[in-house]
Amino acid sequence: MSLAPPLVEFHDVTVAYGRRPVLWNVDLTISEPCLFGVVGPNGAGKSTLLKAALGLVPLAGGMVRLFGQPLERVRRRVGYVPQRETVDWDFPVSVMDVVLMGTYSRVGWLRRPAAAERAVARESLARVGLEDLADRQIGRLSGGQQQRVFLARALAQQADVYFLDEPMAGVDARSQEQILAVLSGLRDAGKLVIVVHHDLRAVTDWFDAVALIDMRLVAAGPTRETLTPDNLRRTYAGAIDVLDEVGRAVQRRSRTP
Amino acid sequence: MTSAVGYLSCLAAIDLSGLLAYNTLIVAAGTAAVGCAAGVVGSLSVLRKRALVGDAAAHVTLVGVATAFALTGRRDLPTLLAGGFAAALAGLLVLVVMRRYTRTRDDAATAIVLSVGFGGGIALVAGMTARGIPGSAGLENFLLGHTAALTARDAGVLAGVSLATVVVVMLFLKEATLVAFDRSFAAAAGWPVAVVDYLLVVLVAVMVVVGLPAAGAVLVTALVVIPPVAARQWTDRLGTMLVLAGVIGLVSAVTGVAISAVVPRLATGPVIVLVAAAIFAISVLFTRWRSPREAA
Repeated sequence: MSLAPPLVEFHDVTVAYGRRPVLWNVDLTISEPCLFGVVGPNGAGKSTLLKAALGLVPLAGGMVRLFGQPLERVRRRVGYVPQRETVDWDFPVSVMDVVLMGTYSRVGWLRRPAAAERAVARESLARVGLEDLADRQIGRLSGGQQQRVFLARALAQQADVYFLDEPMAGVDARSQEQILAVLSGLRDAGKLVIVVHHDLRAVTDWFDAVALIDMRLVAAGPTRETLTPDNLRRTYAGAIDVLDEVGRAVQRRSRTP
Repeated sequence: MTSAVGYLSCLAAIDLSGLLAYNTLIVAAGTAAVGCAAGVVGSLSVLRKRALVGDAAAHVTLVGVATAFALTGRRDLPTLLAGGFAAALAGLLVLVVMRRYTRTRDDAATAIVLSVGFGGGIALVAGMTARGIPGSAGLENFLLGHTAALTARDAGVLAGVSLATVVVVMLFLKEATLVAFDRSFAAAAGWPVAVVDYLLVVLVAVMVVVGLPAAGAVLVTALVVIPPVAARQWTDRLGTMLVLAGVIGLVSAVTGVAISAVVPRLATGPVIVLVAAAIFAISVLFTRWRSPREAA
């Protein structure tokens, strides 16, 4: 047993956009390297939880610790894959240019990436199976390939904790497999991989542990013990109400002659 | 028929010898540097989707130029441009404050700053001209651009500032590209994205100010926006785009200076804009024809 501090801790984290709270008193500790899923309905605050960990949204309350320290001290050990839709894919940069961005923190101000950084970027590209497309403009890639470019950029960050926001959204089956293989590889190498994921299917196959979130933390723990029907009902309560309403409306319509 | 004859006789009145005058050549060289730098700085601004912010800053400069003249009574270029720059920064500050502390959306805030700054400038200039304040008539040159009045020393100042701006862009190209492409990734990696953003906006403000004598408050935005967009048609590489935008800006600026030097009473700005627009149109047509994109 090690006495190392937990890898990621959320303490009573509350986040509000304007006056509308999107996360309420979330308490979550992840101590072991694993593939960790953050699951919940649309608008449940899953992405906001990642952004809170990365310092991208102001906390209305609570605090986040990574490796037992404030984020500013350990940013170099953190990798991030934002949602694919957040950038302009028509931007005039190549696949290689984007992956090199993962090395910029190590390169620092005013200096350009050198041979060492290029080697890291090339190796990261090879790990996601895109080494042949290094010179291509990023807009000329499929959705799955674009997502793998983002993953390669995070790999080039050479972090210890990785945060991924919907890496499987709009991704073809082949890319999905490849992404999952890379993430499992990171876990096996002792890294913590936290993935926001909206699709309940495959959650049990992919993630070692999950957090179910619906503005509050509903449940967290090993996937099989946490993904119970009861917990799911509590997480998706709002969404299931909507489904019931739709069902009733359809019934009503079929009854009218 | 008669109009054609009239046009020809008008052309005959044009004195081409003015084109090769020493002063015109110096001014053309200075304006070339301005056009080139505007293309380079503008590329980053366009990629950061901040074209309209530059336009607001450009229009606001007029009130600064007029105020500088009213306060100092001097009409030398550095004084007037310093006033324009101060006004541009003040306008940008108002923009930031409006976004943060009022319920005003980006586009509305930009439109308000642009129109109020420009309206104030026009009112000041008109007021001083009407009261016959000596020298105030020259301020109208800052509306649409008028390079014929520039001295060799002015051209040197413009070229020097342009060169310095390009150097700063080159120094921070990596950071600016990162923030323009993926702000949240940059922020998560610990880069001060707001600082980089402000730096870029200030560079654009500098560029619109040094572009004032050439293209004027109304049209200088075109010098910052059209060359980058035209350059983007030809290439998918950022480096190539910067160089091409610089060349297109340079060609537009020099052509504008040359044509307005030989056609009496033709302002420089409109010519620069039309040349740049023509290059843009050719770029679009030629690159579409060369490699038609999928009609989706």
